[in-house]
Amino acid sequence: MVSFLIGAALLFAGGIVGIPARENAKAWLFFVFAAAAQLFMLPVLASVLLYGGRLAMPVYFAPPIGVAYLRLDPLSALFALITSVGAFLTSVYSLGYMKMYHGERATLSSYYFFLGMMSASMLLVEVIQNAILFLIAWEIMSTASFFLVAFENDKEEVRRASLYYFIAMQIGAAFLIAAFAWTSAISGSMDFSSFTSVLANHGGASLLLFTFFFIGFGTKAGFIPMHTWLPKAHPAAPTGVSALMSGVMIKTGIYGILRIVQLSGTPDYRAAYGLLIVSMITGIFGVMNAIAQHDIKKLLAYHSIENIGIIGLGIGLGMLGLVYNNPAIAVLGFFGGLLHVLNHFTFKSVLFYGSGVVYSQTHTRSMDRLGGLAKYLPYTSGMFLIASLAITGLPLFNGFISELAIYLGLARSLSSDVLPLVVAALLGFSGLAFIGAMALLCFTKVYGICFLGSPRTEFHSPPNERQSSMLVPMIVLTVVILAIGLFPWLAIVLLKNVVVQFVPAFSADHLVQLTEIFRTISVVLGMLIVMAAFFFGLRKFLLGKRKVELFKTWDCGYQVGSSRFQYTSSSFAQPFLHLVAELIPQRIHVKKEPVLFPGEAHIESHTQDLSERFLLKPSINLLNRFLNLFAWIQSGRMQQYIMYGLIFLVFLLVLILGVR
Amino acid sequence: MTVQVLAEIAVLLSPLLFVGLISKVKAIWGGRRGASILQSYYDVFKLIRKGEVVSTTTSSVFRAAPSIGIAATILALFIMPVPIFGSVIRFEGDFVMFAYLLGLAKFTMVLAALDTGSSFEGMGASREVAYSTIIETAFFVVIGSLALVTHQASFAAIIAYLNIAAGYSLLVKILLVASLFIMILAEGSRVPVDDPNTHLELTMIHEVMVLDYSGPDLAFIQYTTALKMTIISILIADLVIPSSMPPFPAIALAVALLLLVFTSIGIVESLVARARISHVPQFLFFMTTLSFTAFAVVVFFLFGVTR
Repeated sequence: MVSFLIGAALLFAGGIVGIPARENAKAWLFFVFAAAAQLFMLPVLASVLLYGGRLAMPVYFAPPIGVAYLRLDPLSALFALITSVGAFLTSVYSLGYMKMYHGERATLSSYYFFLGMMSASMLLVEVIQNAILFLIAWEIMSTASFFLVAFENDKEEVRRASLYYFIAMQIGAAFLIAAFAWTSAISGSMDFSSFTSVLANHGGASLLLFTFFFIGFGTKAGFIPMHTWLPKAHPAAPTGVSALMSGVMIKTGIYGILRIVQLSGTPDYRAAYGLLIVSMITGIFGVMNAIAQHDIKKLLAYHSIENIGIIGLGIGLGMLGLVYNNPAIAVLGFFGGLLHVLNHFTFKSVLFYGSGVVYSQTHTRSMDRLGGLAKYLPYTSGMFLIASLAITGLPLFNGFISELAIYLGLARSLSSDVLPLVVAALLGFSGLAFIGAMALLCFTKVYGICFLGSPRTEFHSPPNERQSSMLVPMIVLTVVILAIGLFPWLAIVLLKNVVVQFVPAFSADHLVQLTEIFRTISVVLGMLIVMAAFFFGLRKFLLGKRKVELFKTWDCGYQVGSSRFQYTSSSFAQPFLHLVAELIPQRIHVKKEPVLFPGEAHIESHTQDLSERFLLKPSINLLNRFLNLFAWIQSGRMQQYIMYGLIFLVFLLVLILGVR
Repeated sequence: MTVQVLAEIAVLLSPLLFVGLISKVKAIWGGRRGASILQSYYDVFKLIRKGEVVSTTTSSVFRAAPSIGIAATILALFIMPVPIFGSVIRFEGDFVMFAYLLGLAKFTMVLAALDTGSSFEGMGASREVAYSTIIETAFFVVIGSLALVTHQASFAAIIAYLNIAAGYSLLVKILLVASLFIMILAEGSRVPVDDPNTHLELTMIHEVMVLDYSGPDLAFIQYTTALKMTIISILIADLVIPSSMPPFPAIALAVALLLLVFTSIGIVESLVARARISHVPQFLFFMTTLSFTAFAVVVFFLFGVTR
């Protein structure tokens, strides 16, 4: 436990020591400290995760906090592993990526300072089990990430995005504070272990409590309708931070939900069905909106929302397994959800890092200006392709394994004799299939438009991959993607002890069967690779004696030659968006001279987030109208404000003394 | 065991024959004699003996896609149980691998289409992925219905246990078979979803994605499409043939059913015109409706009548 804290402290220190240093030195110092932190963290985390140990450490504070406990159990260890490795990989990535910001010493200092602060606070959030300390660490995490999102604050859109993010986080935190305060008040103690008695009874109050926790943690995770900050904040932040936020920080929201589920014992069936339905809506709506985007990072942000939906689906399925006393379904659900947490960290980070490489070379995030990058950035392109295949859940890669576990759990639920479960299982089944098909659309679009074909605009200077430090984190994660994809039983070894924490009636048989299935899958995937190699070799052999001619694209004899004729991201998505036009409203602006033969014309299309238009904007407008009635309080005169303070103090004194 | 290997080899060699059968049916219906049933074999062998023209815009994705596609589809065939003989590969959840292997083939084909940097192929690719969202969902509902009826989670087990004696089984089977028939039309790029004989912009979905392919790659692709149609027809045959039938009549019935399915495809192609592109999704939603109705019927009879 002590080494864990040393690791967290090293990450924080790495941000501080760089403040007086030169730009390059800042990056390298942070990297060295982050690497050292790994030396302290990884052994502890590995031992807890692989052997199922529990570590605890009391910390003594003055009352009213009293004794606070830091506990490291396999669940915390899994998320801490992701956090620690993610922070380290971002430090490596920043070595190369932040070079374009050299010359702005002050902002670079703040970047590393807040990066260290955010990483350390995320680690603390995952082990602290005292309500007040948890909230303090949570707020520190949100504040540090706010400053990181606001890094390029000379741009107006970044300023607005970061403020929006900050406000959204505070709203979520408000729900968390209310939920924690309520629970602590009933249970009489701030420690998490006392919450079980409050959360376990299945009355209406505990359901409301669960909802508050869900809204609070769900705002951080990105469940619909609390997701609107994600597509604004992720594109605004520098890429290393986006990767860390999308791969790690939103998972702290999932950690919170999982901790509450774990503390609740057998869940309330209404909570389980509710989570399932919200997750499906989140998944479907997230990927639909992702398809409509033409900014790479905004698309990836919406796609993170979809994956959060899939994770929630797995957790909801696991909860249903517990509700109906079916450990097999519970094991599959929780295993699938937890594995998807790990998987999403791997492939989403690769995708964000790759988009950062593209941005650093082309200085644009708009897909419609890119194309043909595979020839200039071969390694980035290859790893981006692998991550795209993985995120779509295709076989050979890790996404397939977690989705298979969830599908299998849903299929088993279809055999139950509880009607609501059967209907919910079918909706989950078809919903997951729908999400998978849409993800296929989304990532063929991203990879195909950005990396394949020919460039749609001229590049100022040819893109290159000379910054190898940006490639190293991608390589590490790609290896993990392939490892879990080809040898899925590795995932069982890693996650076994975490699943045990959720399913009390767990027996080794459940995982033995899953291990058998995974071994068969490995063999089948081996056959796939062998057969594909065989056919590719056959093709080579057949063509060896024939003439292979290189020529322009035939395209049915339509050789025009301009790369602007290629399909763009908007055109690629159009047939699908036409089908779901009600859900993804599109506004098209056409500027054209109103004459018979116009010279120049201009067309622009924007899609709007439906939840913003119908849920958020009306409620915010209503709130504004109500609050405007009290605008007279803010007169701008300092004397009035001092008077307010005085009145409040007097009121407080009267209250405290009067109570005695 | 050896009989099963022979059966699988027979299935692997048959798809091009079935494609030839479709053309023959269309020809006879139109009053012509038409090309020989073996014409597709001649075409594929001719292509294998040719060289290739490869576009300079393309990358290695374009070159690798047909090989990955054919390997994935053959592996999918091994997961699909053949009547009486079962499947070569079986494990719980293999239907997910089946669907996602076909998805892998589709992913690489779409990328290869975008790789050429042409607007025609981009158009075909965009339509293909849009329609596959509808088809995938409906297909999983079909599988869900079958899993619900049999309480099993692997294709081979589902087919083995599919002996529903109850009266509603006929209705469910009709709905599922109709749903799968539409899926064959969609995946095999047949009328009314796509027209395999023309290369006009209006009728292009699958055909246009492979415009730039030639030689052995094109042979692989033509075989892959035919194989996909055969795999789903085998699933239809599995649904119709009761598992209690003795082997020899069952095999004869299976072959007859496959011939019947492909003849029906030929008849449909002769009777119906290719739908307007904006009507194609409506046709595919018909598949969704059929499969959800089948699921509803099963739920109603499993939960409603017995309670």
